Amino acid sequence: MPGKRISCTRPPLSGLSSLALLVLLAGCSASPLAKHTAAFSSATNLVVDGSENAYRATVRLHDQEQIAAAVARYDTTPNWDPHNIPVTHLIDDKGLEVRSLVLDGLKLYAQTLSDLTSHISSEKLDAASAAVGNHLMALSGNLGNVTSGGFTLSHTQANLASTAVNALGTFLASKKVSSGVPGIIKSMDPNVEAVCQLLNDDITILRRQSHDDYEQLLVQQDSFIRHAQGLSPVERRAEINKLPQIILRQQTTDDMLADLQGTITKLALTHHALAATAQNKNPESLRDRLGELEAAAQRLSQFYSSLPTS
Amino acid sequence: MAKTPKTAALADTHAPPISPILTHPSSVEAYQDLYNALGRAYWEASDIQSKDTVQGARDAIYDIITQLHQAQLEGNTARFIAIVPAIQSANAALKSIQTSIDQITKNISTVATVIAAINRILSFAGSL
Repeated sequence: MPGKRISCTRPPLSGLSSLALLVLLAGCSASPLAKHTAAFSSATNLVVDGSENAYRATVRLHDQEQIAAAVARYDTTPNWDPHNIPVTHLIDDKGLEVRSLVLDGLKLYAQTLSDLTSHISSEKLDAASAAVGNHLMALSGNLGNVTSGGFTLSHTQANLASTAVNALGTFLASKKVSSGVPGIIKSMDPNVEAVCQLLNDDITILRRQSHDDYEQLLVQQDSFIRHAQGLSPVERRAEINKLPQIILRQQTTDDMLADLQGTITKLALTHHALAATAQNKNPESLRDRLGELEAAAQRLSQFYSSLPTS
Repeated sequence: MAKTPKTAALADTHAPPISPILTHPSSVEAYQDLYNALGRAYWEASDIQSKDTVQGARDAIYDIITQLHQAQLEGNTARFIAIVPAIQSANAALKSIQTSIDQITKNISTVATVIAAINRILSFAGSL
């Protein structure tokens, strides 16, 4: 429409909603995953951090027990040497490294899933599509200068072009996600379950071992008090006071590890839900899709609103 | 994950392998029950000599349980190792999708760049 200028007022948002609807109906099926990937990523972070803390704390506790046991033998071992205290780590360095590798891999998997499904539309895409509209508007002006007929693209038309390009980019990205991610999630589901089972097995062992380590520390402290002859009443009271504190730490550690086991179980369940959603087996899938439709329309509307009008 | 500090020389970590029968959960539980029973006996004993005797036996059981736990954890290490390739493979596949999506944005940027280049030529032509 050569020479015709369109008002700078924005077209009704229903047009944009229709655009979003088109995008989604055309195959943007990856979007319902976003809610579950976010939940899975949060649960994974809790489990990874908690597991690393658990390994660190229980290995250190076991080292402490061995050192305390060696200290208790001081008076009965004439050649006692602090350089030669036999400390055997509960889990060796290789074992810790492998567990760290698996946990970091799981964290990366969850984070990448979340990024792919939640942030399909990036700031870079927004900037690139806005640039297309701006350059098109400039192009229309220059065309008017060099051709007799020419046409001029208004800001509104340029913004609509930018929004269309943005929607196209989002659509293409969504297609990439929907064609690849569900299969990866499905194939990873038994692996995530296996990792959770392994972590759970580990934590069960760590709970038992830390219980016994605290028991040993408790008896070593009690034995020290009963054999110590030269303690003043105040010193004796202070040493006795350490006994219930050891029990308190024992209970706190066990509670922490029990909580971690609960979170690990939730992690496996969350991934199952994620896999079900990815395969469209979730009965709430339609509701998710509708929610995502609304979110997509809102996102496009926000992008459109962010574009300059003059 | 931080490694524990090596507070002292390591003891011999090349102990002979423990029979799978001993690492079976029921075996560990049997030792654990004995350890707990000796613990109750320790606190119920009324003189230091009896307590020391009970704890001496209990220390031996503790050492056995600890070795069984270490063997179980080592077995789990092997299972963790087996699962690493699957996780790495999934992450590589996700990375590939991420790269494809980045390429879409790059393509749109290329379109914008081409339009800008045409603009520059038209500006030059208009000024002639």
